[in-house]
Amino acid sequence: MTSSLRLKIACALGNTAGSLSRHLNRGRGETLAGRVILAIYPNAISELTKNRDVVLISGTNGKTTSTSNLVGILTKFAGEGVSTSRSGANMPAGIVTALAQEPRHRLAAIECDEMYLPSMYRAISPSVVVLLNLSRDQLHRTGEVRKIAQLWQETFTKDDVTLVIDRDDPFVEYAASQAGHVIRVSFGGRRHSDGATCPQCSKILDWSTGNYACSCGLGSKLADVRSDKKLNGPERNTVLVTEAARLMGAEISAADAQELLDNSPDRVSQFDVDGRMISTHLAKNPESWREALAGISAQQVILSVNARGIDGRDTSWLWDIDFASLQGKKVVCTGERRLDVAYRIKVQDCDVVVAADIAQALTYFPTGVVQAIASYTAFQDLAARELGIIKVQGGQK
Amino acid sequence: MTLTIVRIYHDLLGTYGDQGNAEVLCHRARARGIEVELVEVTPGEPIPRSADIYLLGGGEDGPQLAALEMLRTDGGLKYAAAGGATVFAVCAGFQIIGESLPGSGGETISGLGLVDAHTHYPKSKRSVGELVIAPTRGGLPILTGFENHQGFTKLGSEMPALGRTLSGVGNGFYATEGVWHGNVIGTYLHGPALARNPELADSVLQCAAGPIAKFDDEFATAFAQERRQTLWSHEKTHPIVLGVGFSRGRASGLQFP
Repeated sequence: MTSSLRLKIACALGNTAGSLSRHLNRGRGETLAGRVILAIYPNAISELTKNRDVVLISGTNGKTTSTSNLVGILTKFAGEGVSTSRSGANMPAGIVTALAQEPRHRLAAIECDEMYLPSMYRAISPSVVVLLNLSRDQLHRTGEVRKIAQLWQETFTKDDVTLVIDRDDPFVEYAASQAGHVIRVSFGGRRHSDGATCPQCSKILDWSTGNYACSCGLGSKLADVRSDKKLNGPERNTVLVTEAARLMGAEISAADAQELLDNSPDRVSQFDVDGRMISTHLAKNPESWREALAGISAQQVILSVNARGIDGRDTSWLWDIDFASLQGKKVVCTGERRLDVAYRIKVQDCDVVVAADIAQALTYFPTGVVQAIASYTAFQDLAARELGIIKVQGGQK
Repeated sequence: MTLTIVRIYHDLLGTYGDQGNAEVLCHRARARGIEVELVEVTPGEPIPRSADIYLLGGGEDGPQLAALEMLRTDGGLKYAAAGGATVFAVCAGFQIIGESLPGSGGETISGLGLVDAHTHYPKSKRSVGELVIAPTRGGLPILTGFENHQGFTKLGSEMPALGRTLSGVGNGFYATEGVWHGNVIGTYLHGPALARNPELADSVLQCAAGPIAKFDDEFATAFAQERRQTLWSHEKTHPIVLGVGFSRGRASGLQFP
């Protein structure tokens, strides 16, 4: 059997398995489809990306939003179709399914889980890799933040790829320190909550200037792109993917870039529940919770926390977050680990009650504006199962 | 009285949420009318020598060794512990207060030596998951937490463990978990440990403040019980077995179904 025929059969069987699983209501079937494809044709990812220009996007926060943002930017400014994984699947099985299902455009933008970035980089040989940020997340799986930075640093040692990075993040800067081609973007510096010591030499980092410096030289390389305005996480990610799009041939003027920045997609989704608009912020680790809390202006707040694998099985990160901004508001905690978060904010003197599920939580707030922050699977539950409601607006502002 | 609690280098030793232990102690002390002063010590600042409770948390390997070197040079923690101060140290912090631990190249280096405990890095994979222990001291119920560590810690023969591992890894030797020697407690329990185990929090307060009033915090109790029941249902079905274990003051002889 020729290898291209074998690949076709693998993809066909995988897609069949996936749609079977979907029809049996066993989820979206992507992972199963991908596993079937990879079992029959282990090199499928390399084969499906041969002779294509691929951008890989990785980092702790904003991968899915940034990938879809990049697809939109490339489609508009490079004038070409772009293959991508639309669902946020970012491990090999999900990536291969997306590649097998999507039309074979010359351009592809693919989100990649932090731990799988080295193997996907080797399999895909991308033209550009965007490294958004690194902070503590799912420590039950990754162990330590700096271990991921080190894994990346050992991966990007050649000049066969261009990295686009947020150099203000010392872990990302360290990850790119051996790479041949790097576009360093700086946003004027900001304290990193996990950045007490140098990822390169373990000495205490000097943050006295608002930016990091170390005697080992980490952080001494100059930025290629500077943005001195204070930007939030989604905005910073927009700047990074705009630079990546430029590298891929998109012609984006300064005015266009500003417009993209002004319309940065965030992770707030709005749900209409019996006439109440509930804006829900997806957040799954301390850094994204801090961003989400900064956006809470309503007096009625729902916090929903689960601890399934993707959420992080250990909930102690809740204590890394300062919830003082919720003092004086009415807070309802729900999700499988509602007691974890309820006790955490109780210790910070917040007015809190617990509710068994999101429907019960909403009974506390019959009218008015409600803002919710939900961990990953709690967010999915909110969107899909608990309420069976229609998502009216999400992902893109 | 005013209780002085020192949170040591939480930038370095706060990767796994253990800084919450300080907040819980303050909350539970103030609820009883005990005044509390929380002192944050950042790298480079001296460790106060006359405080009541010192807290160390878990951290990554590099920051752990940086913290150890600063504590060694400063000398304040060792001085205070020798004077009977209470020390509660988690994970990397627990390893730091032992006699020895692995250095950056895997070589053995000496710790602060507050307890006779020796940490090694076994070849086996990292110990990650929920950890349930039966405490060796009377009065404490089953303790739960989340462990996430590479090291195994062997206690010296005179060192009482904090508890016996019922589920999970703990110290990795003879089903022991943590250490409780004098007023020094070490453990691999994150959660934070004192949030998930209010009775342990009160034990730490009692080490420093003596007998304290009873205090029921609805959320703390519900949280602790939910974790305990989810992770160790035997507690409900075999209360007598556990009772015997506590009254003997040693958990090592216990047989669990």
